[in-house]
Amino acid sequence: MNRAFLIARQEFIKYVTRRGFFISILMFPLWIVVVTLIPQWTAGSDSPRIFTIVDNTGGTWREAILTAIARDNESRDLAALAHYAGGFADVSKLPPATASMLAHPDTQASRRLFEKAGGLDAVRAQLQPHLKPGAPPFTVPMPRYVYAAPPPDLARSPDAKTIAAALARESGPFEIDAVVVVPSGFGPSAPQADFWSTTPRGNLRGFVDDALSNALRLAAVRAIAPNVSDRELLTDGADLESRNPAHTDGSSGAFDQGVPIALAIILFVVSVMNSSVLLQGVVEEKSTRMIEVLLSCATPREITTGKLVGVIAVALTTLLIWGLALLAMMALASHETAALVFSSLRAAATLQTVPLLLVFFLCGLLIYGSLFLAIGSMANSLADAQSLLGPSMLILMLPNLMIAGVMANPNGPLATGLSWVPIYTPFFMMLRISSHPPVWQLWGTTILALVTTALMIIWTGRVFANNVLTTERPPALGVLVGRLFRRRGA
Amino acid sequence: MTDTIVELSHVTKRFGDFTAVRDLSFALKRGSILGFLGPNGAGKTTTLRMMLGILPPDEGTIRVLGKSIGEVRARIGYLPEERGLYKRMRADAAIAYLATLKGMKRADALARARQMLDGFGLGDFKRVRIEGLSKGMAQKVQVLSAVVHDPEFVILDEPFSGLDPVNQSELEAFIRDLAAQGKTILFSTHTMQHAERLCDRLIVLAKGAKVFEGTLDEARGLLPRRARLAADTDLGFLASVPGVAQIAPPAPGQPLWTVDLKEGDDGRALLAACFERKTPLTHFDVSPPSLHDVFVSLVGAHHTGAPAQSEAA
Repeated sequence: MNRAFLIARQEFIKYVTRRGFFISILMFPLWIVVVTLIPQWTAGSDSPRIFTIVDNTGGTWREAILTAIARDNESRDLAALAHYAGGFADVSKLPPATASMLAHPDTQASRRLFEKAGGLDAVRAQLQPHLKPGAPPFTVPMPRYVYAAPPPDLARSPDAKTIAAALARESGPFEIDAVVVVPSGFGPSAPQADFWSTTPRGNLRGFVDDALSNALRLAAVRAIAPNVSDRELLTDGADLESRNPAHTDGSSGAFDQGVPIALAIILFVVSVMNSSVLLQGVVEEKSTRMIEVLLSCATPREITTGKLVGVIAVALTTLLIWGLALLAMMALASHETAALVFSSLRAAATLQTVPLLLVFFLCGLLIYGSLFLAIGSMANSLADAQSLLGPSMLILMLPNLMIAGVMANPNGPLATGLSWVPIYTPFFMMLRISSHPPVWQLWGTTILALVTTALMIIWTGRVFANNVLTTERPPALGVLVGRLFRRRGA
Repeated sequence: MTDTIVELSHVTKRFGDFTAVRDLSFALKRGSILGFLGPNGAGKTTTLRMMLGILPPDEGTIRVLGKSIGEVRARIGYLPEERGLYKRMRADAAIAYLATLKGMKRADALARARQMLDGFGLGDFKRVRIEGLSKGMAQKVQVLSAVVHDPEFVILDEPFSGLDPVNQSELEAFIRDLAAQGKTILFSTHTMQHAERLCDRLIVLAKGAKVFEGTLDEARGLLPRRARLAADTDLGFLASVPGVAQIAPPAPGQPLWTVDLKEGDDGRALLAACFERKTPLTHFDVSPPSLHDVFVSLVGAHHTGAPAQSEAA
């Protein structure tokens, strides 16, 4: 075993001192940053959608749409102000109602309170005395939708030609994204209007649809309840707040599904990344005959064990570095985001689940690592290895394609069935573990994962001993399967 | 302390339908240098790998240092035919790593590796990566890796392959030095000059089977002596002299006649015949056959080229 440890140590040093290790370590967090931040950055820098309305009924419905835009702007102002207050104001010194409004800006109650308090300027005035020293000035968010008066030709005759000219930006100073044409008979009995656009950016169509639908409902309600104000009718709604008993801090657990998915994907990424390096290492050792020197010093089992332990050490180091990178990213993220992420991490990684997560992670890593090691020992060149790796990768990648289906019902028949496919057990159980699968499934799949891992290691040892010194073509699949059950005195 | 370092008894190794080593038996005494000779594909490397425990024999038994190989792995040194070291490792670390696998403590291994590199004139290169060394330097590092842990038994597979004449001489001296320290050495080669200069005993393999085992003198005794003569006249009359097996005239442009003598004959009858015929000789010598001649004679009948097989035997 001492020799296995020495080989593991050497493998660890060999891999972590390669440039590729540092690149791969940096690439994954960078990829996460890019994937999460770019949509936010692009959303923030997106220009407003400018559109025009030709209301042939006289202007009632245009007014309804403009009212909806004003309310959308108000909501965005409140959200931006809440974000600003969270970062740069001492919220505890604000009146409790205002503090609560800024803590939960997405609720109907907060929006009502914001309006009642006097809107953006009034609440900014309340906030001003409590800003922290050095706080930057508040930036009013850009509106998502901007109305422009229709060009005269279009207003006079909204036909296909004038609409096309307006959308082609030939008829006015604005870049018009869409033209809404409300026909003269529009109303509850004839609710058909036209939305013209050649650049369907954002959700302008949906926004206009909602605005007109609300206006139609309002008209219908006003007919039977003339005393109810428009504002009241439009703002009333349920505030359905998400709760999860696993979150003792009362947070919603918005990232609860994200944590197991992230763990399972990390298992896959780390396994494939490190196992590929393991495979390349064995092929290189075969081609340079270093493997012969190793075999004169240690048994095939000591070598395979050492290599797999080395890969585990590299993988755990990778995870540690990524964990630290996550902490660093959380320090840069907003307080609310960090709280949500940590709350979901705490909910997923409890005292009961952490040991199982660790077992499944290590089993998954060893299963993938063993497979790659066996492929490496059978291949005489990287080209050989690629031909064996192709079909193997198709099999190993399958679980990634099933994530959505499994997470739609983590304890349903699909998820349960896939959890009992031996080489997929670690992956799917990591996905499901925070969804509280039945105890018998937890025990059963844990035993299955451990047995599969042990069998894979034994099989890899035999394949390695049989093939690592040969320069023959890789053996047929039947021969390989046979080696799982046949003893060999190497 | 056992006196027999290696003992192979009726060892056979097959790869599918191909028999790489056939019923091979021999024993090697402590402190000797054994030359393992044979053409390509004779089974030399396969036999060495079996002695190292890298390959299991299909039949027969192998005892090394009186025990099974697994128990004495750390007491064996091995230099493979095709050199292999981790290219990105530094020279001293590469040697020390293999020494730790052979049971040395890391600090001791590193100190010993540096000491040996200094001794081999590679002191300035001990922190250089293997990929940065010349081929000759890398081969020296590999040789040092094989013996850094002070093994009792050293196996060298084609140790002179790829070395220039200066490095070959240095390696010969190093092998002699190892033998002087009491180590037992087995090396395979198909360069007969090295075997002639270094070996106490020889084993010749052909097509997986042992065709000779013995000392250099015993090997030379397998072929009759050969006389070489030169004169200004035709020496063809010597063909009828008793004790002459075969006579060959000089090659074009060459002065020497070659006379193969029958077993036990010392060539004096040739001189007597020339004296009687009053034929003055300008050159006369009688020498034993070279190991090369013996080797060609022994394996010539068996050797028809390396067989197609998966192992570089």
